Amino acid sequence: MSIVNVPGVSPQLTTDNDMRWRFRQARDLLAKVLAVAATAFGLFWLAWILWTTLSNGLPALKWSLFTQMTPPPGSDGGLLNAFAGSALMSGLAILLGAPIGILAGTFLSEYARHSRLGEVVRFVNDILLSAPSIIIGLFIYELIVRPMGHFSAMAGGVALSFIVLPVVVRTTDEMLQLVPGNMREAALALGIPQWKVVRQILYRAARSGITTGVLLALARISGETAPLLFTALNNQYWTAQLNQPMANVPVVIFQYAMSPYDFWHALAWAGAFVVTMFVLLLSILARGAFFKGVSS
Amino acid sequence: MNQPVHADESTTDPRVTYVDRAPVRVADDRANAMTVLTDDEGVQAPVKVDVRNLNFFYGDTRALKGISLAVAEKRVTALIGPSGCGKSTLIRIFNRIYAIYPKQRAEGEILLDGQNVLAPGYSINRLRTRVGMVFQKPVPFPMSIYDNVAYAIRHYERLSRIQMDERVEVALRSSALWDEVKDKLNRSALGLSGGQQQRLCIARAVALKPEVLLLDEPTSALDPISTAKIEQLIDDLKAQYSVLIVTHNMQQAARVSDFTGFMFLGELVEFGRTKDIFTKPVKKQTEDYITGRFG
Amino acid sequence: MYHPTVERYRAPAVAVTTDSRERNDQRNDRLFRLAVLGCALFVLVALLGAASSMLWGAREAFSTFGWHFVVSTDWDAVQRKFGALVPIYGTLATAAIAMMIAVPVSFGIAVFLTEIAPVWARGPVSTAVELLAGIPSIIYGMWGLFVFVPFMAAHVDPWLDTHAGALPLVGPLFRGPPIGLGMLTAGIVLGIMVIPFIASVMREVFTTVPIQLKESAYAVGNTTWEVVWDVVLPYTRSAVVGGVFLGLGRALGETMAVTFVLGNAHLLTASLLQPGNSIAATIANEFTEADSSVYLSSLIALGFLLFVVTFVVLAIARLMLRRLARQGGVAA
Repeated sequence: MSIVNVPGVSPQLTTDNDMRWRFRQARDLLAKVLAVAATAFGLFWLAWILWTTLSNGLPALKWSLFTQMTPPPGSDGGLLNAFAGSALMSGLAILLGAPIGILAGTFLSEYARHSRLGEVVRFVNDILLSAPSIIIGLFIYELIVRPMGHFSAMAGGVALSFIVLPVVVRTTDEMLQLVPGNMREAALALGIPQWKVVRQILYRAARSGITTGVLLALARISGETAPLLFTALNNQYWTAQLNQPMANVPVVIFQYAMSPYDFWHALAWAGAFVVTMFVLLLSILARGAFFKGVSS
Repeated sequence: MNQPVHADESTTDPRVTYVDRAPVRVADDRANAMTVLTDDEGVQAPVKVDVRNLNFFYGDTRALKGISLAVAEKRVTALIGPSGCGKSTLIRIFNRIYAIYPKQRAEGEILLDGQNVLAPGYSINRLRTRVGMVFQKPVPFPMSIYDNVAYAIRHYERLSRIQMDERVEVALRSSALWDEVKDKLNRSALGLSGGQQQRLCIARAVALKPEVLLLDEPTSALDPISTAKIEQLIDDLKAQYSVLIVTHNMQQAARVSDFTGFMFLGELVEFGRTKDIFTKPVKKQTEDYITGRFG
Repeated sequence: MYHPTVERYRAPAVAVTTDSRERNDQRNDRLFRLAVLGCALFVLVALLGAASSMLWGAREAFSTFGWHFVVSTDWDAVQRKFGALVPIYGTLATAAIAMMIAVPVSFGIAVFLTEIAPVWARGPVSTAVELLAGIPSIIYGMWGLFVFVPFMAAHVDPWLDTHAGALPLVGPLFRGPPIGLGMLTAGIVLGIMVIPFIASVMREVFTTVPIQLKESAYAVGNTTWEVVWDVVLPYTRSAVVGGVFLGLGRALGETMAVTFVLGNAHLLTASLLQPGNSIAATIANEFTEADSSVYLSSLIALGFLLFVVTFVVLAIARLMLRRLARQGGVAA
């Protein structure tokens, strides 16, 4: 207690100050305890969810998962066609979404950094970035599935590419803005035209950052279910045809988890485990790529 | 597209009001329309770049006011002045690098061998191969040492491997870097020291065989030893190039330059032979700055 | 000595030719510019396309039911009568529960990470929180269905029913069968899901507070809590609201996690322990089963409503976040 009884100061006032000080300390302590509790609360769920995935997924993890097709009701099988379908559609999504996203991000950073149009595009992109993914599914249903008359892997890939797009736009914009302005001036001062400066120098300088964006986008779509429900739907059999419905891990997990069969539950958990590990691995990889780029 | 860049001979208007740069004698050789500067030794140096009544605007702010200045061929011209005086702004107009930013605008003329490089028809490409620039901070491109030098050459010329090797070597030799990097040409340029990076940037600029070299405070980010090397290099470079250097370091200007311009608040206060500017400046402001009374 | 002279200058009329390389450069520059501009415009088109295609798909539902669609509780596939009130209520109720949990917890995490935690712990803990954001929502859904719903049914619901259910006013909210599925469970799962999003925005904006501002507050004897409440929070208020709205946008539109635990029942009831439905869950559950065009159109109309609501919420979020970015730009 640092309260000193100063002569001339009324004891009443000192006590008030003392009380006030104690109250402030107590309030501070309470706030700190609550903040720590909140953090523990958040981490508690993370641990619980990861533990559930691990404890249910690991026992269900069998080699046949990667060699057998999805089974008919009531019997055992694997997820081979679902993994293949997810890989194919994710690949398609990256192939479509990443180039457009990189170019749009380039526009924002290099051609419209302070322009009105740039502001609008950035704003709309930020909204797309957090828009509910089920809306993307409905959009692609109207755009592709309804005109085609049936569900297809292509529609699934396009739907996912609209989720890839804003992620890549945002990171490309941010990463290119981190490249020092001197580098642009130095290259332009040599008479190199801007398109070459962007492609051969700025992309190279921002490569790790842009890669991070693409990896994050891939992580994001690996577990996306809602946009695939009414675009790619599902397919119990193997197909590599883009104009046919195609199996994919998230929708298979959804359907099997909602089913009454234990075999299917086990398969769903195994799929969930693989997807979660893949997503976490990608996030860590993306961070690694970014920090490597920053340090060099 | 053949476009005469500067052909308004009919104007009766005196195009430019020239301030006689006493004590430099300015002659006008009307036969080939070339102004001539006389240097310390009395040798006449033709004018390479002639700046005439140049104004510069950042949006609505006028940053340069009626600058007229001549850069002599194969000599070093220095621009000095307190920070914010407009010297960097001025040097950035010579190769029109300012034009990449919106709302920056130059008015007036910069005549390179008699042609106005600010005219809209003047090819930026051509300008930037003729006028090279080195910036305050060394910015190597994220590629190998070799590619840093070869990169711009590749854009302009198709050379065989042997020819290219030769060009790169010549450029690195003329920037006094060859001996230090010849065994690691394929390593990333980002691994070089600051001084080496700056010399690499000079090599990159001279690889295009420019006629004019702009140096914007090239040593302000370097240590004294690297600075001394660059200053020595500048002295060597003037055998081939007309050099314009911006520096906030008066001793550096005195050491390396033949002509010096003193700028203050967006105006060129005085221009003359370096020796004269530093020993018997005409203007009071110049004298105050030289003697360290302000700035 | 120093006198101006006027000189005439006669410039030689040398023509500058533009060579083919330069023409190429200029053409390529134009093409590249067009390409990047086109891609940027594509982003705008994507949003407009999503809005208009859903409006187009929803036209049958809107023309059949009119404004009645938004206020009706009907959801009858046999008689082909549809109304959006039940899913709208479910969406709002679950999002409200989620925000009640997520906002204070996220604030606590952000304060912990920026003001309280030792420096060595900040990196790992914020990484862990961000991992929580990376877990696919379907995993939350499965965990919710197989682990959390039974837990709620066994421990929380009965307790709430007997204790909170007897309370005046709020009692009806907590009366219901202990089945685990329902609004409360969905709200909690949603809350857990949006915590990392809100927390990471708050943490980020808290770090933008100038260090001098905080140091001077500490220097005059303020406690950590007082610095957070009186200095950090006022400085970042708009961005904090932005972060909360960002989380709200997620909570409103989240599909899979809710679909698993909400129970898919078209019931309008006060009880949070009863199964219900949300817009996103209704669409996810019934879209492939829609057997009439007006049914399908009604589902798309639901999607359109969701789009409008989340658009408004997210637009507010971005505007609020941008305000701090500007302010930070000025301060820096």
